[in-house]
Amino acid sequence: MSECKMEQPKVGVFISDCGKQLSEVLDFDALTSFVRTVPDVTLIARGSAFWRGKGLETIIDAIKSGKINRVVVAESITKISDVNIAQAVENAGLNSYLVEVIDIKDHCAWPHRATPKEATEKAKAMLLSAIERVKLLEPIEKLEFPALKSVLVIGGGIAGMQTAVDLADLGFEVNLIEKESFLGGLSARVGRFFPTDDCAICIQPPSSDVKTITHTSRKCVYRSGFSEIPNLNILTNSRVVAFDGVPGNFELTIETKPRYVEADQCVACDKCAAVCPVETPDEYNANLNNRKAIYMNVPAVHPQVYAIDEDACKFHDCAKCVEVCPTNAIDLDQKTEQVTLNVGSIVVATGFREFDSSTIKEYHYDDYPDVITNLELARLIDGFGPTAGNIVRPSDGKSAKKIVFVQCAGSRDKRYNPYCSSICCMISLKHASLIKETNPDAEVTICYIDIRTTGREHEYYYERARDLGIKFVKGRPTEIYNDEEKGKLIVDVEDALLKRFLDLEADLVVLATSMVPAEGTTELAQLLGIPLESDGFFKEYNAKLRPTETKQKGIFLCGGATFPKDAPTASLHAHSAAMKVTKFLNSGKIVKDLRTAEINDEYCGDCELCPVTCPYGAILLEPTTGDHFVARVNDLLCEGCGICVGTCPLNAIELRNSRPSQMTAQINALLSVNGTSKPLVLAFCCQECGHTAVDSSGMAKMEYPANVRIIKVPCAGIVRANQILEAFKAGAQGIMVVGCKLDGCHYELGSQQAEKKIDFTKVLLKEYGIEPERLEMFSMVYIEGDQFAEAAKMMTDRVTELGQLKLMEDS
Amino acid sequence: MPHHNTNKNTNMSFSEEVTCRHGGETLTSCYQCGTCASSCPVARLDSRFNPREIIKLALLGEKDELVSGDAIWLCTSCFNCQERCPQNVEIAELFYALRNIAIEAGNSPNIYADFGSALIADGRIVAISKFGEKKREEFGLPPLKPVGLEDLNTILSETGFIKPEKKEASK
Repeated sequence: MSECKMEQPKVGVFISDCGKQLSEVLDFDALTSFVRTVPDVTLIARGSAFWRGKGLETIIDAIKSGKINRVVVAESITKISDVNIAQAVENAGLNSYLVEVIDIKDHCAWPHRATPKEATEKAKAMLLSAIERVKLLEPIEKLEFPALKSVLVIGGGIAGMQTAVDLADLGFEVNLIEKESFLGGLSARVGRFFPTDDCAICIQPPSSDVKTITHTSRKCVYRSGFSEIPNLNILTNSRVVAFDGVPGNFELTIETKPRYVEADQCVACDKCAAVCPVETPDEYNANLNNRKAIYMNVPAVHPQVYAIDEDACKFHDCAKCVEVCPTNAIDLDQKTEQVTLNVGSIVVATGFREFDSSTIKEYHYDDYPDVITNLELARLIDGFGPTAGNIVRPSDGKSAKKIVFVQCAGSRDKRYNPYCSSICCMISLKHASLIKETNPDAEVTICYIDIRTTGREHEYYYERARDLGIKFVKGRPTEIYNDEEKGKLIVDVEDALLKRFLDLEADLVVLATSMVPAEGTTELAQLLGIPLESDGFFKEYNAKLRPTETKQKGIFLCGGATFPKDAPTASLHAHSAAMKVTKFLNSGKIVKDLRTAEINDEYCGDCELCPVTCPYGAILLEPTTGDHFVARVNDLLCEGCGICVGTCPLNAIELRNSRPSQMTAQINALLSVNGTSKPLVLAFCCQECGHTAVDSSGMAKMEYPANVRIIKVPCAGIVRANQILEAFKAGAQGIMVVGCKLDGCHYELGSQQAEKKIDFTKVLLKEYGIEPERLEMFSMVYIEGDQFAEAAKMMTDRVTELGQLKLMEDS
Repeated sequence: MPHHNTNKNTNMSFSEEVTCRHGGETLTSCYQCGTCASSCPVARLDSRFNPREIIKLALLGEKDELVSGDAIWLCTSCFNCQERCPQNVEIAELFYALRNIAIEAGNSPNIYADFGSALIADGRIVAISKFGEKKREEFGLPPLKPVGLEDLNTILSETGFIKPEKKEASK
């Protein structure tokens, strides 16, 4: 389709016997004689290793001398040798995409060693296929996209702050936005952290703080100096309202609600709050006390600037604060502002919040004021809190002597949140111990299903709690009652270990409430186009290997946005995200091979299949004339899987490095020589798990017959029905499509798409008079080489039994 | 290797026997939190009955103990436990499944046979008492209609409640 003016191919074929291992099975003289007959082959070399050392030099010399402009290497461990050869070839001045490396050891000599003659015939077919493919290959150019060295961090909790400090230290322009008036998020409210029992508002300060910084420095947010880093722009009261652009250059609109106090004038003298006549519930302190309409959360916050609560303030009807302010910092006429930010990358650090406990009716959180949550208890324990650290009953302010914790309130509960929130056991153990240490007379009980203390130092908390005399009841309470006569709450629970029913009296019942995604998570996910997991938290790209990346290039995650985390884990996550952003933006550009999909406008039009199928949102529709439109591929976003190719009903999309013409040439070559007594079976194997499963079966010397021929494709999703029909016409008696596991596809949807396509093609085959059993889809991972060998044998037996394929005249 | 299990009654496949039965499907979701036990009005009064314990026995495969004992028959089907179970174990339904297993094994309290006979004979498991009728009248409710015995018998035969030989005999 592309009018690529290519010079006459001169193919060099390099056949390795892998240190004489393979010559015991394969007849190398026969292979070289065969290759010599293939047109356009200008050089044949035999050796022991062509992927390194002298062998590789032979290839380089041949390229430099101009003898060859295409390279075929028959080697082993192709997944490594491919990389090495590509780099060397590129250095020698030949585009690395004009090279084809095949594995005649693990894909041929080892699995077919019992039938050396058949193996040699298959090796011929493999060589021919590689030569035919390489002749049709075209150079793939490298694209460069600009990447702004600037970042937007969304969320000013501990994770967002830490990642912002890291990135600012590394020289990026960092914008940190926080929806509340003050930084700190949930972490600032919990008072103290486990397992260090230190202040929650303590962070690792920026390295720019040269006067006091030490290797071990940790400082309160407000005195950390992090607000003074010149390349860190902190916006409170702010949220993202619009999103556009591409990785490396995202454009975001940030809306900032007025604070009504000028940050550069306020001296935090508290005179304004002293005269403010409005009293309103203090949500920072879980509404356990009132605050003024102009306020600061606690003394040690950032920014050190008062803020006005819009919903409570009487503005010009009162304006007492304006009168007393010694620096004229208060401006009651401030308006909501919008700014546009262009950043190379985004880090989502929006965290989590407590589940609404009133949903669990039997715990009567809304009915009884003395039923509180762990976060509310944290405010009671905090010396800066509403009771200056005294543990009291919110109902009457009296000291709470009997305290019962109820674990898993809303967690591990299929009616609310089926997952374990993972941090609540430790939070309760920390709180219970802190209470008991200050009030040894307090009677503290924890009702639990399982105590989970899985981190370093965490088990010690459990032990300390037992030492302090905290009681543990193994059982989940069914209900909390209010005994009005006694003036106590009653926690109705069975101790399963004693098989005894306990009615625990309590002044205060603390719900270890489950943790759920922060407010606005769904909206933000939709805006940024990144997926959520079924639990509602942001979905990381790969939990094991890419825990801070998302499906969307350039957008990263950290902290509780992906799942509830304790502070050490959130911090670890934040530093990790900063490293990933650095890797992404550091060079100021994104370099990418144009190994992408290409649309043929002549055929494409007015259908919406490919944009919907593309797992990466890389295809958009562009209007042409009238009501018509065509597909457009964003080369930056395209991952080159070819699922769109397999989906397009008009064959209007091609992958530059896996064009149908290239694949057809390969298929015809693979099926041109049989040399075995068995019917030919063609296996389309995806380059990820499918093809590697073939490797692993060979490496483990598992055997299957040599009639099974393998063609590597980028993803199982690229295979098209007409290619399957063509392969039958070309001589295949059976066809296998081997992809990754349906839920483990490296391109997310490829295996699923392939499975659907195979089902559909089977119906089509029937129409053509071909037994549908001749076609089968397989899903496997790398380690399942035995499954590939089994499948290959099974398909061979199956098509042998079916007998010679009879094609209809016109098919 | 140490001999872990000396109890001959312990048969792990019993939990499978329960889960493949209607009502028993959710057995293995139980994680023994005991919400059912503390929700249960019977368990407070009768130490023979504890729903959490019954589920544990079923999970451990103690079929004989469950099938031959009283416990599974003491549930009043108030569904408190099922309403509150955080794992959505259908506890009351599970007990029906266990009872069916017990009946198949030939174990059921006599009163269930009496209920069955009464249902076949009168169309009600418990006869309407004079007291009941009087109360209905006081509340302004109409008298209970007589049961359509013939229809009921068809249902009972078709569903296998009345054994086939009896069905033949009644024709």
